[in-house]
Amino acid sequence: MNRQRLHIAIMVHSQIIYEGLHAVLSRSDIDCIICKVDSLQDLEDILLSRKVDLLIINPLLLVNREKDVKRIRKSHPHFSIVGIHLGIVDNHSLALLDSSFTIFDTAEQVLSRLQKTGTGGELKFPSNDDNLTERELDVLTQLVHGYSNKEIADSLNISIHTVVTHRKNIATKTGIRSQSGLTIYAITKKIIQIEDVDLQSH
Amino acid sequence: MRLFDLIEENPSLLLVMQHFDFDFRVGDLTVSQLCKEKGINENLFISIANLYNGFKPKENPIDSVDDVKQIVRFLKNSHDYYRNDKYPQINTYIKQLQENHPEKELKLLERFFNEYFAEVIDHLDYEDNVAFPYFIEFLGNRDNPKSNAYSAQEYSEHHTDIELKIKDIKNLLLKYVSINDDLNLRRKLLFSLCELEYDLYIHSLIEETILIPFGYNMEKA
Repeated sequence: MNRQRLHIAIMVHSQIIYEGLHAVLSRSDIDCIICKVDSLQDLEDILLSRKVDLLIINPLLLVNREKDVKRIRKSHPHFSIVGIHLGIVDNHSLALLDSSFTIFDTAEQVLSRLQKTGTGGELKFPSNDDNLTERELDVLTQLVHGYSNKEIADSLNISIHTVVTHRKNIATKTGIRSQSGLTIYAITKKIIQIEDVDLQSH
Repeated sequence: MRLFDLIEENPSLLLVMQHFDFDFRVGDLTVSQLCKEKGINENLFISIANLYNGFKPKENPIDSVDDVKQIVRFLKNSHDYYRNDKYPQINTYIKQLQENHPEKELKLLERFFNEYFAEVIDHLDYEDNVAFPYFIEFLGNRDNPKSNAYSAQEYSEHHTDIELKIKDIKNLLLKYVSINDDLNLRRKLLFSLCELEYDLYIHSLIEETILIPFGYNMEKA
């Protein structure tokens, strides 16, 4: 499937290691497109016109490049970095990586590491908000703040009947029916802040 | 049919047996033998066991005053199971989860559960102290049923769907609240919630399809 195709950039100076990684990846069942980059600047240029999911890099090439990495991550939040350790690495560079492997790992170990990092990225982001409409979100917010159907109807300038319909739709979409349950739902979805809820009251 | 074989087929039969005050060491006894030994209408036992297997009874299995008493005893025993077994167990798991994870949603979840638990206790107390004595008393005064102010209608109106909030807690844990790892504890909590949810569901089925229709019929008679 096209959607799962991984776009991998490799940044190592050793031709042997680049060819080796290329061979391991090409022989695997990972559906991927590989390109070679020579510098972070090179990578940024490519990112302007093409998608890159994963950068495999010798972490030594990241020394003193913290700012560049942060800038790239900020403009490409789905992007992951995996280090290939050829020797001793400083902690600063390690901290910039999502994951890593060494040149002594087996092909399977390398692939499993890459797959987990490359495809797991999407999990970092919440799924869409159960498709609640703007109006349903308004009703939900007032509801978890303890307003009655009548109060909600008055403040949103709609009929009580419409409020009830919105509430039914919210329950169907979220699978949560009680007010307390919806409060927890609204917090996990960041629709309201936890500070809005009085934790002390009983 | 031997109970032993039936239990192997559906272990939730153990819960039915416990609610009927049967011991679990069934040996090779058949349903018929055991019911006779315990003085329980076999048809009633099978109808309720079948509810746990997903089949609703075609006819009301209540045959006598004694059957109503058996059902009330069954329901009271299931109340004890909720009060003394299931709820404390779920409470312990949620507390533990809340201690293991700093997320504030879990503090709210614990509070949600405690408030809900208090509601459930109210409901169970109401049934034990008001609704069930009605059915028993009503049967003792069948010549003068109108003397009792309470009715099956009132019972049915008061009867709330207490399993709805259990579903909410389950859905929150399965769909929304994010907790890292702790799979053993979370599985135990979810299993407990599912067990409770299922038993509550059967509990209301017994009330709605057996006890309340019987009450209506008696009042009409």
